[in-house]
Amino acid sequence: MAPRVETNTIDGIDVLVAGGGIAATFAAIKAKEAGAKRVVQVDKGTVGKTGNSCFAAGVIHVCFPEDDLDDRVLRLTRAQGYLAQQDLIRDSLQESYSILEEMRRYGVRMVMNPDGTYRRMAGRGAYPIVMFYSTQLMDALRKYAQSIGVEQVNRVCLTELLTRNGEVSGAVGFHQHTGDFYVLRARATVLATGGTYYKGIHPGHRDCSGDGFGMAYRVGATLSGGEQNDQPANSMPARIDVGPGMNKWMGEGAFFINAKGERFMERYSPKLKERSGLPQITAFFCIETRMGRAPIYMDARHLGPEQMERLYQMLPLPQREFESVGVVKDGKFQKQVEFCPTGPTTRPGIVVDRSYSSRTPRLFAAGECCPPSAVVTGLAAAATSGARAGASAARCARDSDDAVDDNGLMLELRERTFAPLARPEGLEPEHVLLELQEAVIPYDVLLLRDGGRMEHSLKRVETIRDQDLPKLGAYDLHYLRLCHEIRNLTLTAELTLKAAIQRTETRNILREDYPFTDNVNWLKWIMVREEGQGQKWWTEDIPIERYPVAPKREVELAYLWRVPRDLGVVRIQDGRIQWVSEK
Amino acid sequence: MGIRKIDVKLCIGCNVCVDVCPMDVIRIDPVGNKAYIKYRRDCQSCFLCEVECPEDAIEVVSVHERRMVTAW
Repeated sequence: MAPRVETNTIDGIDVLVAGGGIAATFAAIKAKEAGAKRVVQVDKGTVGKTGNSCFAAGVIHVCFPEDDLDDRVLRLTRAQGYLAQQDLIRDSLQESYSILEEMRRYGVRMVMNPDGTYRRMAGRGAYPIVMFYSTQLMDALRKYAQSIGVEQVNRVCLTELLTRNGEVSGAVGFHQHTGDFYVLRARATVLATGGTYYKGIHPGHRDCSGDGFGMAYRVGATLSGGEQNDQPANSMPARIDVGPGMNKWMGEGAFFINAKGERFMERYSPKLKERSGLPQITAFFCIETRMGRAPIYMDARHLGPEQMERLYQMLPLPQREFESVGVVKDGKFQKQVEFCPTGPTTRPGIVVDRSYSSRTPRLFAAGECCPPSAVVTGLAAAATSGARAGASAARCARDSDDAVDDNGLMLELRERTFAPLARPEGLEPEHVLLELQEAVIPYDVLLLRDGGRMEHSLKRVETIRDQDLPKLGAYDLHYLRLCHEIRNLTLTAELTLKAAIQRTETRNILREDYPFTDNVNWLKWIMVREEGQGQKWWTEDIPIERYPVAPKREVELAYLWRVPRDLGVVRIQDGRIQWVSEK
Repeated sequence: MGIRKIDVKLCIGCNVCVDVCPMDVIRIDPVGNKAYIKYRRDCQSCFLCEVECPEDAIEVVSVHERRMVTAW
């Protein structure tokens, strides 16, 4: 189908926000509140109904005034394997309570006690969480943004950023229903397009395809953190489309058992068990599987009416999903549910400073578009980072001239945007996606790592990049969006694998050939940017001496390996892991 | 599986399901002004359409619509 290309130009934007989740919506709201006249929020779905936020599992990790802020910074920093930008983590925690109050002011309903205080309950982690009512949160934020004059443009899939003299001056994309080419010229641009799970088992996340990483990378922005995350993967029901909700199910008392019927998390993490952090859950899932003890099941059959009622309130979508396949019936879990990790969630995010300004002029980032070191996964950090990014972008817009761009570049971007439509006989994006998923999702690639295996996967990804992407074909505008998503996912996979290969240690994510955590040589961030036709990779030292929390500068067996070693599951030989066979 | 059916007898063509679908699975047939499933394979069983349909015309089942690559 030849595209019927009308060009729809929106000029005079002060702040352009890409994305429809909580980070993007907060960025738009705060940009407006900070005085930006024209704020345009663009999403490839409908604002508030895309990405991860509208499916968030009913809980927010907020640092309350009565909480010990220093202790929370310490815990988050440790959870990040000391790779955190501690000043940003502190900012985010400090601002999380006022953001929570603001959400209520915007019309978001939280679960409250009869005396009007927040009802805080156990979730994963040491501090109790706050609960909200599922999709009502993003509905309220979307409506509030509209009410203060944020212009929301839906179903426009952004494909590239506009630049002039190295400054970002907006973005281009296409409308998935009309086929119109969109040109959005802006004084400041915020990317809040989320991370990715490679379209794996995670309902409510398959539209997150690393679009922001791709757009930023292609204009020379600096990215970092592709190899690392405090949440290396989530865990979801493996064979049915349900989730997310693990935090809440575990918080209510569900537990995991392996194929032998053992509640294995008791062995690995006697204190927190299933409420351990995601690096622990992911790692110990992988070790159980490597030892031949998969499948792993969640058992929630013992949950009583009170617990089930809370689940229905907080997780109406997942509970309805369970009902549709008979796992939940008559208000009770009837069966065990097989679980496994989702696709890896490491993200080569856009490097930002405390104002969430990137190293590329006029470009800002928020939420999971930033590296894990800057923004931890979860609604609170997404919201606080969005708020800061929006306010910073408004300041930038106020102090900048109108954006201009290069007309020649515009024509090239238009051609690039619609190119797959000219190849309807080309490769279907779906088939290329399956190949990419086969390269990165299996647990022994990015969750249980080994240099040789990652090199093997990288070759597969590079083959997809060089041989498949140029042949991607789109039957229509729906498939055109998929083509762009696959292109960005392939780049994300490439950058993730290359960074993961470079990090020759185990830190939060198991690596069999380097089981030690190296706090002498690896308190570093791995950075990358596009330079000419190539890539420039380098490391930057974490300014650990300036930060309040620092590990001992020594090399030691990683905690994630120490536990299985002490349990006799593995031993260390010649500097690498040897698996001990069960008798 | 994923989205199973939209009951044309119940559908009032209000466009809600089209708007809320993150994956662009549903479109409106301009002739009959009814919603129909256009890109079923991309359904992620998120249930937004089923939950938000004002006429209860949509049925979704949480089974992977297409072949899924899993961690194991």
